[in-house]
Amino acid sequence: MTSTPVRRPVDRLARVPEPAVDVGPYFDLDHGLVDRTIFGDPALYRQELRRVFAPSWLFLAHESQFVKPGDFFTTYMGEDPVIVTMGKDRRLRAFLNACRHRGMRVCRADAGATKAFTCSYHGWSYDTSGRLVNVPNGEDYPAHFDRDQWGLTEVAQLDTYKGLVFATWNPQAPPLVEALGGMTWYMDAMLDRDPEGTEVVGGVHKWVLEGNWKLAAEQFASDWYHVNISHASALMVMSPTGKGPKTEIVQTPGRQYTDPLGHGHGFPTHPKSRFDDRVVHGHYDYEALRERLGDARVEGPMTTGHATVFPNFSYLPVNGSIRVWHPKGPDRMEVWAWTLVDRSMPDEVKDAQRVYNLRTFGPTGIFEQDDGENWSEVQATAHGFVSGSMTLNYQMGLGLEAEDGVHPGTTGRLYSDGAARGFYARWRDLMNTPAWHEKDTR
Amino acid sequence: MSIHPTDEVTDTVTGADIRLHFEVQRLYAVEAQLLDQHRYADWLELFAEDLHYWAPVRTNRLRRQQALADGAPGEVAIFDETKASLAWRIRRFDSGMAWAEDPPSRTRHLITNITVRAGEEAGEYVAESAFLCYRNRLEREVDLYAGGRTDVLRREPDDGRLLIARRTILLDQNVLLAKNISTFL
Ligand code: FES
Ligand SMILES: [Fe+2]
Repeated sequence: MTSTPVRRPVDRLARVPEPAVDVGPYFDLDHGLVDRTIFGDPALYRQELRRVFAPSWLFLAHESQFVKPGDFFTTYMGEDPVIVTMGKDRRLRAFLNACRHRGMRVCRADAGATKAFTCSYHGWSYDTSGRLVNVPNGEDYPAHFDRDQWGLTEVAQLDTYKGLVFATWNPQAPPLVEALGGMTWYMDAMLDRDPEGTEVVGGVHKWVLEGNWKLAAEQFASDWYHVNISHASALMVMSPTGKGPKTEIVQTPGRQYTDPLGHGHGFPTHPKSRFDDRVVHGHYDYEALRERLGDARVEGPMTTGHATVFPNFSYLPVNGSIRVWHPKGPDRMEVWAWTLVDRSMPDEVKDAQRVYNLRTFGPTGIFEQDDGENWSEVQATAHGFVSGSMTLNYQMGLGLEAEDGVHPGTTGRLYSDGAARGFYARWRDLMNTPAWHEKDTR
Repeated sequence: MSIHPTDEVTDTVTGADIRLHFEVQRLYAVEAQLLDQHRYADWLELFAEDLHYWAPVRTNRLRRQQALADGAPGEVAIFDETKASLAWRIRRFDSGMAWAEDPPSRTRHLITNITVRAGEEAGEYVAESAFLCYRNRLEREVDLYAGGRTDVLRREPDDGRLLIARRTILLDQNVLLAKNISTFL
């Protein structure tokens, strides 16, 4: 079999495509079956970097992190390091954080402000719009060396949705709002409570987890089921009686939204929405929220829900935790989590939300500590030949998904694997479809 | 003439200084033992009622923006606690369902490089120390948390005990290299 060399947008030289594995056999989603191989196989991991991460819109940062031209923040898209920065024209751009000369990381700070990104290897220097503006010993380059062709590699598209900055390497990706699809109705329960929008508190929680990134992304899309058991200790501490989850909590009604593009959102439904922190709860005018977002959203996705925007951006509307699960190899992820608040909240309310979030979620959060334990153990027990290829059960709520007439799109019960099945259907389809860069033969 | 750190000791150290240093050292040794024995409720008694227990996030900044490298008050933090919120965290361990610590981790808190100086208020001292906490969990999980602590210690008027009134923890990591911190530092 011969493969035709193709060029990626970032390439000048043609390259032979890597072989792709058909992942179809790892799934029987109609019967709720998933082969555990997808969480640990190194070849599948390489394939998902190029077919799931490279073509998708990925979360980068929040707009409020960039106030003045030159403000920058460094992060990752898949395993690709990127710089997000505001140019002199106040436009946000994102570039590969790799010098075009030998590939040195051109910015090694997490965030800050700068006029230029100067490589510390040989001194090539790029301005905040990514142009190569200075090359030391330039006279020694040949006449056809054209600085304009050696700017930082820029993402193909960058856009924002209500304060959230996303980008993609894929020039053929649909516009961001189409890629978010029906999920925006649910996202607005967090992003659109305040006419002035949202902002993030300074600083980012970053920590490592010895688990495949999909374990976390899938859970935030779909898994309310674990809450009563995994988080029993936290629920006990939070319950007024100190006696742990009551039957009302265990039997709580709710819905789970499954988006055909792989997104998912689970949420209890309750006629009275409330925020867990007393100060934050006291701040909200629930009548005004009903007016603004409608009863269905206030009584649904605005309650203590959980969500994932495919592939690796997740959030908790009530805690204000927004996070990205950066893949770091098949067995490891890095969690980067921000605290989101409404812009017009008084300072003491913002602070109450910040503190509530860090005490419940984040590396010391009383909920999150136990999530970390689950994912690392799930990964650790998958290293054997037999244990690593066993079939896992995703059958909860199978056959119960429908249009419920209240929440747009397809929803199922709160306790369901519906959004996880949707997440994996999308993942499977992307994994089995050559990405734009595999077809591009300029 | 340059001052050598030992000059101060040889010229001016008093019996009271030695006594205070010993007292602080013993306080930290007892504190470490309580943590390593998971006696968190007893550990909490070492703190004053108006406690602020804070561990900011550390970021990588350009040298000219080093002032921003340690998270500011009001930013995302690893811990930002009062005595009541620590009690809340501790109650979780007593629930019998805190799976991140069930079975419990083995920890060893090492506290060293202690210096003590007078604080701003009468009866208060500023104590700086370095810590290394080794956590070994389940079969072979190992985490190391290393950093520095700056405490404000306050002498209780009634019984003369030293209580920890403020603690700032600077963990020497950017990305936390552990799945969680299920102990205290
Ligand atoms: S690698 Fe950047 S200038 Fe050489
Ligand atoms: Fe959880």
